Amino acid sequence: MRLHWAHALSRRLWGGWGPSQVARSMSRHSSRPAGDPASGAPARRDPPRDAQDNDRGPAAFAAALETLERIPGRRVGRLELVAAALAAMPALGVAREREAYHRLLRLLPRGPWVPRGPIQRLLAPFPQQQECGLQILEQMERYGVVPDAETRFLLLGVFGPRSRPVRKCQRMLYWLPRLRHVDPHPLPSVLPPPGLAAACLGLRRIANDPDARITVYQRPVPDEGDNEGSVQPYIVGAQSPEQQELLARHGPARPVFVEGPFSLWLRSTQLWYYVLRGDPLPPHLREDPPDPERSLYYPLHLDLDLERGPWDDDDFDVDEVEEGPVFALCMAGAGDRHTLGKWIAGLQEANPVLGRTPVVFRLQDGDPPAGATGDPPTPSLGEVPPPPAVLELPDLPRGYGHSTRGGGNKGSMAPGE
Amino acid sequence: MAATRGLLLRALRASRPGPVAFPAVRRLRTAAPRPAFAKELFLGTLRKEEVFPYPEISNEELAEINQFVGPVEKFFSEEVDSKKIDQDAKIPPETLKGLKDLGLFGMQIPEEYGGLGLSNTMYARLGEITSLDGSIAVTLAAHQAIGLKGILIAGTDEQKAKYLPRLASGEHIAAFCLTEPGSGSDAASIQTRATLSEDGKYFLLNGSKVWISNGGLASIFTVFARTEVVDKDGQLKDKITAFIVERDFGGVTHGKPEDKLGIRGSNTCEVHFENTKVPIENVIGEVGGGFKVAMNILNSGRFSMGSASAGMIKKLIEMTAEYACTRKQFNKKLSEFGLIQEKFCVMAVKAYVMESMAYLTAGMMDRPGFPDCSVEAAMVKVFSSEGAWTCVSEALQILGGLGYMKDYPYERYLRDTRILLIFEGTNEILRMYIALTGMQYAGKILTDKIKEIKKGNVGVALGEFLSKLRDMMGRKVDYGLVGDRGVVHPSLQESGKKLEENVYYFGTTVRGLLTRFGKTIVDEQLVLKRVADIIINLYAMTAAISRASRSISIGLRNHDHEVLLTNIFCTEAYFKNNYAMAQLQKYADENLDDCIKKAAKQVLEKRAYICSHPLDRTF
Repeated sequence: MRLHWAHALSRRLWGGWGPSQVARSMSRHSSRPAGDPASGAPARRDPPRDAQDNDRGPAAFAAALETLERIPGRRVGRLELVAAALAAMPALGVAREREAYHRLLRLLPRGPWVPRGPIQRLLAPFPQQQECGLQILEQMERYGVVPDAETRFLLLGVFGPRSRPVRKCQRMLYWLPRLRHVDPHPLPSVLPPPGLAAACLGLRRIANDPDARITVYQRPVPDEGDNEGSVQPYIVGAQSPEQQELLARHGPARPVFVEGPFSLWLRSTQLWYYVLRGDPLPPHLREDPPDPERSLYYPLHLDLDLERGPWDDDDFDVDEVEEGPVFALCMAGAGDRHTLGKWIAGLQEANPVLGRTPVVFRLQDGDPPAGATGDPPTPSLGEVPPPPAVLELPDLPRGYGHSTRGGGNKGSMAPGE
Repeated sequence: MAATRGLLLRALRASRPGPVAFPAVRRLRTAAPRPAFAKELFLGTLRKEEVFPYPEISNEELAEINQFVGPVEKFFSEEVDSKKIDQDAKIPPETLKGLKDLGLFGMQIPEEYGGLGLSNTMYARLGEITSLDGSIAVTLAAHQAIGLKGILIAGTDEQKAKYLPRLASGEHIAAFCLTEPGSGSDAASIQTRATLSEDGKYFLLNGSKVWISNGGLASIFTVFARTEVVDKDGQLKDKITAFIVERDFGGVTHGKPEDKLGIRGSNTCEVHFENTKVPIENVIGEVGGGFKVAMNILNSGRFSMGSASAGMIKKLIEMTAEYACTRKQFNKKLSEFGLIQEKFCVMAVKAYVMESMAYLTAGMMDRPGFPDCSVEAAMVKVFSSEGAWTCVSEALQILGGLGYMKDYPYERYLRDTRILLIFEGTNEILRMYIALTGMQYAGKILTDKIKEIKKGNVGVALGEFLSKLRDMMGRKVDYGLVGDRGVVHPSLQESGKKLEENVYYFGTTVRGLLTRFGKTIVDEQLVLKRVADIIINLYAMTAAISRASRSISIGLRNHDHEVLLTNIFCTEAYFKNNYAMAQLQKYADENLDDCIKKAAKQVLEKRAYICSHPLDRTF
């Protein structure tokens, strides 16, 4: 029952042996001559980056669907095919493209699944088919793809007016545009691969001060790639002029602390950062005493014995836990004292006072392994080789029609879901 | 020619009747400093004896000033080519020489040092004429309103004798060097340093000053620099000291003149001091006392802007009225259109009020004693600079496209006027000064009472409550301005009543604000701005009413017009004040301060205009 049709088709088309190879070939080698059974295996060992050209990704997806569309016998196995394609989409990098979903919808037959008359519409017609449409829409929703009029038009043609997919599409049309910009601190749609660039992005996100300067204290060697073979990890830090002032005011008499690692998530990439902070200063040192000879034009302080009235005190009365000031932030490819020491040494250039200040390292036990700055589980970062996508049913939540079918023979899920 | 005229002027000055008596009266500084009029307004008190009757000058003084005015007016209309000054960004030497010969470089320097020894009132009168060219007015003001003022008010007799004569004749030009690249009004930004030499005879001056008016022309500078001073608990501290620096001391250089929007003929540039040796006797005041000197200079220099702006607007009204009465549109003269008429009314009202305020303040400053008129002077500056800007803009509107053309002088007026809102303390800063000075004064007196209320003293609170109740029932406020024994002429009765009512409610508003915010009112700038606006309006109303009353009473020409202008202004100001006071109440619907602050914060957080484009879409 499962995919027999699609298997037969795919073997001819992609030359693979099984579902896993199908997807890999779909992702990489769709242009490979057909009938080469060994083609999938060596390809797996290719460095993942090399595959970023046009025999993988959107073009491959488009080519595969084009071929499928040409094949006659369109009544059979469409649902399975769509489900498999949905599962493969993230790996192919088309999960955020509306047009890709439209192509999937165009694979579905127009007309036969439209209920005839109001009575049939009442009786929950074509449940599996509608479920398939809903899955397409759900995946769009998950990846933040906003349907448009064409999506609705295609759904109408396949499922008829007021069917469940059409109504979901209408709800999505209502909500998704409204929610699209709710995040006040949006991330770029494509995140940089973990490493220096991602660290800069992360720091910029924490140090939300336009004046903050991001400084690369040490470039990674080798320049890119994974951290396993790296000779020296990257060190990048952020510090604003205000923080420099605070550090200068902190003075060399009191120690400062390097603390961390703390984690930061950029979508599904985990980064680790370290802070340089101090204990809060005693109150009398925090600000300069008011200087009556400061402002040439108007008094900065009134010499009155009147406090603000209780009814006009807008501050909440809370017990505040005082935290010390944070003087600088850092992300590094390695979390050992040696690396962080280099960061502190770099900071001294802009903050001479740091040279005379005792620095205490308070690193937690749960140190991430060196270079663990983000093992990206998602393909959206596009760096680590995506686990082979499978033209197989995706793992659906229980209770959905397709998910329990096909016994225990579930393929590996598409990553990131 | 000009020289002879200048000699003539000085001769006139010398031969004036009673030359001994008047300076003696003007400089009689014996009485204790009096709390001035404006500060009392914050308590809801109207000290009418300070402002009624409107200050007058004697017939002799009037005759004398009129003798000055003639030649100066002639000089400005015949020999000053403002257009050329603006284009070349330089005042030609012969014009400067003419000004010097007229004695305009030493207007307020006493006669024994070779100046004209004019009183504040007379100085204001001449300011009306010199303001016809912005560049010259600024050059003169930078020279004598701030440049040499330090020597005049805080210098020793030796310093005066040494420097003032040559400054008065214009042989030397003075400049005031305070601003540094850091920021203008923050004394902490002053980095110029003066270090005492080992023998203790001179200071070595090092540092740079920016935007110094007359920086390139001046040979005498009043410079403010940091010096190390041992303060009273024996610690070394950096304090500001004022110095008289001659260019000849060496090490004084200046940058190239800045290219400016307006007042292009005035010279503004950077001045650098490098190891300039300043003898110790050239310290103005005492070492470490420069801050006070700077404040006094700045506070004393502002009042003349009122008459200067008024002079310019009066000229502008003449020029635009000529145009409006001759140009025809749709077979009607421009002057017959209501919208054009409105603009002329606005200009006339503003000019009238400005003038009234300026001469009232000048008159108050000329009184014996130590009248502290810095708040009044600041109010005059704020009101007149903003009025001038509005009026010039309205005049340009009357002229339409013609006003925008470089062939006509109007656009130059517009450019020149813009600086008025900025220099000598920006209007924002001066508003803070006005409001906070008054709040400090009122707070000192009201503290005890407010504390009683806050503590819950039933008697005081009850009294307060009853007074509020009476206010709500419609209290009759009577300060004795109007009525049978009133000082205001009956035809200004309505305006007088409005003023009284505003003053009374302003007093209660101030008390309310102090109760609410206490000393943290320093941080409530939006509140303070309204307070300042109200008090400026109150002072303006007072000045206009006082002047118009006098005009009717002595039967000046066209006094009915004055009454009309006064009533127009007072009615408008009354409603504006009421609105502002309503905004100052707690939970007032009119008060949008919180929203304003929030919106500004959002913009500033992103440092950009953050709204999406109107053509943007989300789907």
